[in-house]
Amino acid sequence: MIGLVLVVGLPLLAALAGLAFLVVPDRVRAAQVAVGGAAVTWVVTVNVAVPRLGDADPVGGSWGHAWGNLTAPALSFALRADSMSAVLLLLAATVALLVQIYSVAYLAEDPRYPSYAAIVSLFSASMAAVVVADDLFVLLIGWEMMGVCSYLLIGHYWERSDARDGAAKAFLMTRTADIGLLIAIIVLGQAVDSYRISDVLDAVAAGELSSATITVTALLILLAAVGKSAQVPFHTWLPDAMPGPAPISALIHSATMVAAGVYLVARMQPLFAESEAATIVLGLIAVVTMLIAAAFALAQDDLKRVLAWSTVSQLAYMFAALAAGSVVAAIGHLLAHGAFKALLFLAAGAVAHSVGSTAFADMGGLRRPMPWTFWTATLGLAALSGLVPLSGFFTKDAVVGAAYDAAHGEAGPAPSWLGWLIVVAAFVTAALTAAYATRAWRLVFAGERRGTAEAHEAPDLMRWPMVALAVPTVLMGVAVVEPGWLAGSEAEPVHAWVVVLSTVILAVVVGLTWVLGNTGDPATRLGPLRPVLAREFYIDDAYDRIAVRPTFRAVGVVLRSDRDVVDAYVRGASYSAMTASRLLRWAQNHNVQTYVTVAVVGVVVAAVLAGVSAG
Amino acid sequence: MPLVWPLLLSAALFGIGVYGVLARRNAVLALMGVELMLNAANVNLVAFDVWFRDVLVTGQVFTLFIIALAAAEIGLGLAIVLRLFRTYGHVDVDRLGGEPASVPSREEAER
Amino acid sequence: MSTVEVLFLLLSFLAIGSGILVVTTDHLVHAALWLVVTLGSLAGCFLLMTAEFVAWVQVLIYVGAVVVLLLFALMLTRAPTGPDSATSTRNRPVAIFAGVVTTAVLGVVLVDGFRGERIDVEGEPAGAAQPVGDAIFRHWVLGFEVVSVVLLTALIGAIVLSRRDQPRGEVAERPPEGSG
Repeated sequence: MIGLVLVVGLPLLAALAGLAFLVVPDRVRAAQVAVGGAAVTWVVTVNVAVPRLGDADPVGGSWGHAWGNLTAPALSFALRADSMSAVLLLLAATVALLVQIYSVAYLAEDPRYPSYAAIVSLFSASMAAVVVADDLFVLLIGWEMMGVCSYLLIGHYWERSDARDGAAKAFLMTRTADIGLLIAIIVLGQAVDSYRISDVLDAVAAGELSSATITVTALLILLAAVGKSAQVPFHTWLPDAMPGPAPISALIHSATMVAAGVYLVARMQPLFAESEAATIVLGLIAVVTMLIAAAFALAQDDLKRVLAWSTVSQLAYMFAALAAGSVVAAIGHLLAHGAFKALLFLAAGAVAHSVGSTAFADMGGLRRPMPWTFWTATLGLAALSGLVPLSGFFTKDAVVGAAYDAAHGEAGPAPSWLGWLIVVAAFVTAALTAAYATRAWRLVFAGERRGTAEAHEAPDLMRWPMVALAVPTVLMGVAVVEPGWLAGSEAEPVHAWVVVLSTVILAVVVGLTWVLGNTGDPATRLGPLRPVLAREFYIDDAYDRIAVRPTFRAVGVVLRSDRDVVDAYVRGASYSAMTASRLLRWAQNHNVQTYVTVAVVGVVVAAVLAGVSAG
Repeated sequence: MPLVWPLLLSAALFGIGVYGVLARRNAVLALMGVELMLNAANVNLVAFDVWFRDVLVTGQVFTLFIIALAAAEIGLGLAIVLRLFRTYGHVDVDRLGGEPASVPSREEAER
Repeated sequence: MSTVEVLFLLLSFLAIGSGILVVTTDHLVHAALWLVVTLGSLAGCFLLMTAEFVAWVQVLIYVGAVVVLLLFALMLTRAPTGPDSATSTRNRPVAIFAGVVTTAVLGVVLVDGFRGERIDVEGEPAGAAQPVGDAIFRHWVLGFEVVSVVLLTALIGAIVLSRRDQPRGEVAERPPEGSG
């Protein structure tokens, strides 16, 4: 329990200490506090998490028992760590440490580095809180704090309007979806008479909740997860969050925060297991998202946007695995994706640091000047495409395998048609993934050097985290094949036909894309489809018309009523004061005639009044 | 004759005088309004005295005093108006009290 | 109606009419001249009310001195002489109101108090020179003296006020101008 508290509390302390450097600007000290805090947290996390891996019993504890009354159950600061929490804690702590080290070099010239580092520490604390929470409200607090940190960090370069807009969009969309989580928590609390996750799951296992409650709650939780993990229909904020610094995209928008949605559904999997309706919705959302996101990635002109859509698509893989009923496959892919996508974003940051922008038009031919970046990014892209024997292959294979089992009715609540749908969609998406990965690889590293900036290799502090992430990118696959690495996982057989089929698809697609790339950007072969994909089916424009513009109109009404109704009183007060003063000014306008007039009229009026009152 | 006639005459003249003081732009014309008011008072006094057949002839004596005082007052008043004219260059009651103009004195004009 | 009354009515309408013209005419100098008419007709009214001495003093001093003084003042202040030289200020509506209400109040009070009273103009003249002079120098002599002092003060004041400013130190050095 102490360890769990430390895992949450240490980064929090580092964040608070980092705030001191906002008052007294000291880059070096701020970096020391941030990186040191992350390092100490990592050590503590290893100590806490490693014993919990595999089949070990979960540990936990709680403090306090507050604010309960007759109608509402009590809240308590309850934490619990089982093997799923353990692996996620390790992922989060490792990536956070590497990102902090990387940021020291990436933001070497940024005057706002101290606040950035403090907020990253705060984010680490929030993610840890979400992962080890046993009380639903502790989870909610961590969840919302992550949203706040994401907003602050996306908007780090707040001079840029796209950064400000992207931050606001991310925050508003995820907050809107979080209503689902809040309502679900309240409903569950009322139904189970406790806010503890362990109590809720026990109640579900014991069959104490009605199926209506389970379905509604599952759908609400799905809503929040869909928002946080940028799935359809809340998928449009993630690419627009790319104006944030590249290490933030690596930490938040690939490895941890967006994965929190997957974690939430995985943690609440027993609810989904009991509700076929929620599982079908989950599966359909996953299928649609993985296909369209991969298609969008193919048409983008900006490296980070390609990676963002790729993240959305890979998250959909994880949700598909959950729909097929396999938590193990989902968490496995989450870990592998966390490693290689973080690596790819850090590499994108290195490229941006080198050529000054993230647009493909400024890149090209970077293989020679940036060898380390080239090799680590190649490994990352290969893992993304599922090349044997890198980690991505094994985890994607596990997802397909789970869907195949569901299609044969062997596991979970998913109907078999959903299982087949997921299998087909997974293969199509794998093809699209290979295509856009190859295109990106070619546009960045091969060919002629476009753009004018002098390309240089990344500095040391940026290079070593990338190398460090390359290791799990390669080796993680071996780890997740091992039986029992996660509680409840058996040895996943590697289906031979999946291996053959996916390798064939990979080879064909990579070759095709390479050949098409010989005559310019392969995406131009998409023809008239390309602008539609680049504009992401105009979904954002639809959202703008449905939601954003009416909101602004309402804002306009409020502003106008404040100005014309409320302010009218204020202005009226000043106007009447000025008019009164203008009238009173006559008493001193140095015009003798005025004085005499006033005197005469006064006497006359007095005489009339005297006469009237006396007579 | 009915007493009321001279009384009404005096009331009318007084009102006309009040209008003259309050509405005229030239200061000298305002003083003419004052003269009308004084005359109205005189008519009033004489009418009452004749009606009353006062032994001390109070009303008419007061009228004579008023005439004398009116003469004194108009002399001083017009001296003040002259002074105003020398300071401001005009005797417009609306503009008096504002910016003093520089009216050249006779010495400066001859220089 | 007796002759006196008819004449009195005529003269009073003349006085009121010319009084209105004094305060409403556009020509500056015409205003002064209409004032002469007003004061003259008032003198006539005094005569008709048998106040002879007052009437002649009115003519002498008011018409003779005061109006001349007003005309001199108009000249010394370089008053314009054409039409539109005697305009009214923005106070006009208020002034009309004040004048009308004043007249109304006074008229109502006086008529209410003295309705039906008559002045006896047939008998002894009430304002012959001898009884008035008697009354002044017997009963009102103190007031008479005070009024003389006031006149003297006013005379001195007017002279002082209308003197041109002379810088003090230069009086001895400057040669006297012209005939002085």
